[in-house]
Amino acid sequence: MPVYSVSRRRAIALLALTSILLITLDIQGNSVVRGLRGVFSTIFEPVQSSARVMTRPLENSWRGITNYGELEAENQRLQDQLDQQEGAFIAALATARDAQELLALNGIDNLADISSVTAQVIGGTPSNYSQTIEINQGSDRGLRVGMPVVNAAGLVGRITWVDNDRSLVLLANDSLYAIPVQVVNQPNIVPATTTTTTTSTTTTTSTTTTTSSTTTTLPVVPPVSAVVDPNGITTTTQSMTTTTVDLSTVDFGALAPTTTGVIVTIAPGTTAGGPTTTLNLDDLPIAETGIFRGRGIDNAPVVEFIDQNSRFGEVQVGALVFTSGGSQSLAPRGIVVGRVIKIVERTGTSGAVLEVRLTAKLTSLNFVRVLLYQPVATGAP
Amino acid sequence: MIDFVNKPVARLILVGLPALALQTTFFAEVKIFGVVLQIMLALSIAAGLAGGSENGALAGFVFGLMFDLVLTSPLGLSALVYGAAGWGAGYLHSRALENPKWLNALVVGLMSGLATFVLPIVANWIGVEGWLSSRLTKVMIVVALSNALFSFLVVPIARWSLAIRRSQRLAPPAEVFL
Repeated sequence: MPVYSVSRRRAIALLALTSILLITLDIQGNSVVRGLRGVFSTIFEPVQSSARVMTRPLENSWRGITNYGELEAENQRLQDQLDQQEGAFIAALATARDAQELLALNGIDNLADISSVTAQVIGGTPSNYSQTIEINQGSDRGLRVGMPVVNAAGLVGRITWVDNDRSLVLLANDSLYAIPVQVVNQPNIVPATTTTTTTSTTTTTSTTTTTSSTTTTLPVVPPVSAVVDPNGITTTTQSMTTTTVDLSTVDFGALAPTTTGVIVTIAPGTTAGGPTTTLNLDDLPIAETGIFRGRGIDNAPVVEFIDQNSRFGEVQVGALVFTSGGSQSLAPRGIVVGRVIKIVERTGTSGAVLEVRLTAKLTSLNFVRVLLYQPVATGAP
Repeated sequence: MIDFVNKPVARLILVGLPALALQTTFFAEVKIFGVVLQIMLALSIAAGLAGGSENGALAGFVFGLMFDLVLTSPLGLSALVYGAAGWGAGYLHSRALENPKWLNALVVGLMSGLATFVLPIVANWIGVEGWLSSRLTKVMIVVALSNALFSFLVVPIARWSLAIRRSQRLAPPAEVFL
């Protein structure tokens, strides 16, 4: 039953050559291929939407059957984590506010200034190899290819394709994902029991749904000195000038995650005028730059091309990884990516490779936030 | 219009669109041991069994290309591998004078496992890293077994897609006379 009038072997060879040609064109970023994807998407979208509606009950039934026990255990685990993190959140607020003030003084963009669009995840990856999700917001809401996607935990990925009302997100663990990052060693935290002359903060967290209450004593950052020049130059001195953050002025309602039934009480510090956090510039964390790259679903993402500068010293396991920003980076500075879990030393000049555990759990995403950010090199946001 | 619908390429697209919709919605969510089942691959191989190596290659190319158009991986990668899988299934089919259902299931399973293994290798050749991993064995086994089960459904669909009449189906495949 011939389909082509040409000979069979020629037809098969033609199909193979066409495939190879398409691969070559796509890898080179040919605009015709991009256009082809756009046209196909327009045709396919109604079919896919109908299928989504029809198969949703089946999907829900399947999830109900297979994931019930797992969900129950996860819910319990998450509740425990939430209780623990209430205390850590208060400490983070002080640091975040401090950082924002410093960034503003130095004229550096920070995440709080960037508009964002919240989107729901409506589809997973249809392949066993590429890591993508589909979200329900598109170019109608200002989304563009390349914009970073985050959730409450940190970096999720970037927009890789946009339609009017939906988009495709390439997840950070996909092997095609890469972004410049900064690796910051954790500061040396002094245990809370250590007494300092300037700081003493006690946070009490109690949950109305239970009869017990938990008291968390926050770790205290060692005492320290810093002077910030209003002209944008930061200098280090040995003087006793201090940067002070007063928690009593922080608007917790605006910054806290939405929780129900939880009361957070901040006890006044022992120092007059409220609790005080001070930073010692000598103890500031080590910062190095490199390129973060996903390596597929099975392998931990890595940070490569670490700038091994003797001034900065060695990166340690547990170091935090943030996006570094820059005029050409697709993400602004300061998005949390993850933590270093392993350091693989390499011989020669190639430097170490850092394996990273992402803070965002990419296997169970429901809602994400798209930052309406585009690097300076490609146009204003 | 009817003439157009009766053309194999038109029918392949008509079958491919809802199959792809299922792949990107239902099968993207319902995973077996964390593995996404591959209905487009099953259809490509089934086309080879139903219509011989040439039709298998054509169907694999069309289904693979459609799949590529919704993925972020290079366009043409699945088309190449699925086309080869369809061609291979048709070639294996030509070696047997009869094609009982269990044999179809066996061929679909074997070719699915092979294609699942070859896809990341080809991807690696063209510079897409991270697809070859220890998880590949699990993916191969799950896709092979699931597609073997799918074969009872997809082989008849592939016959319709390629507009193969009963008389043609019962005749020995053309490859026998090569």
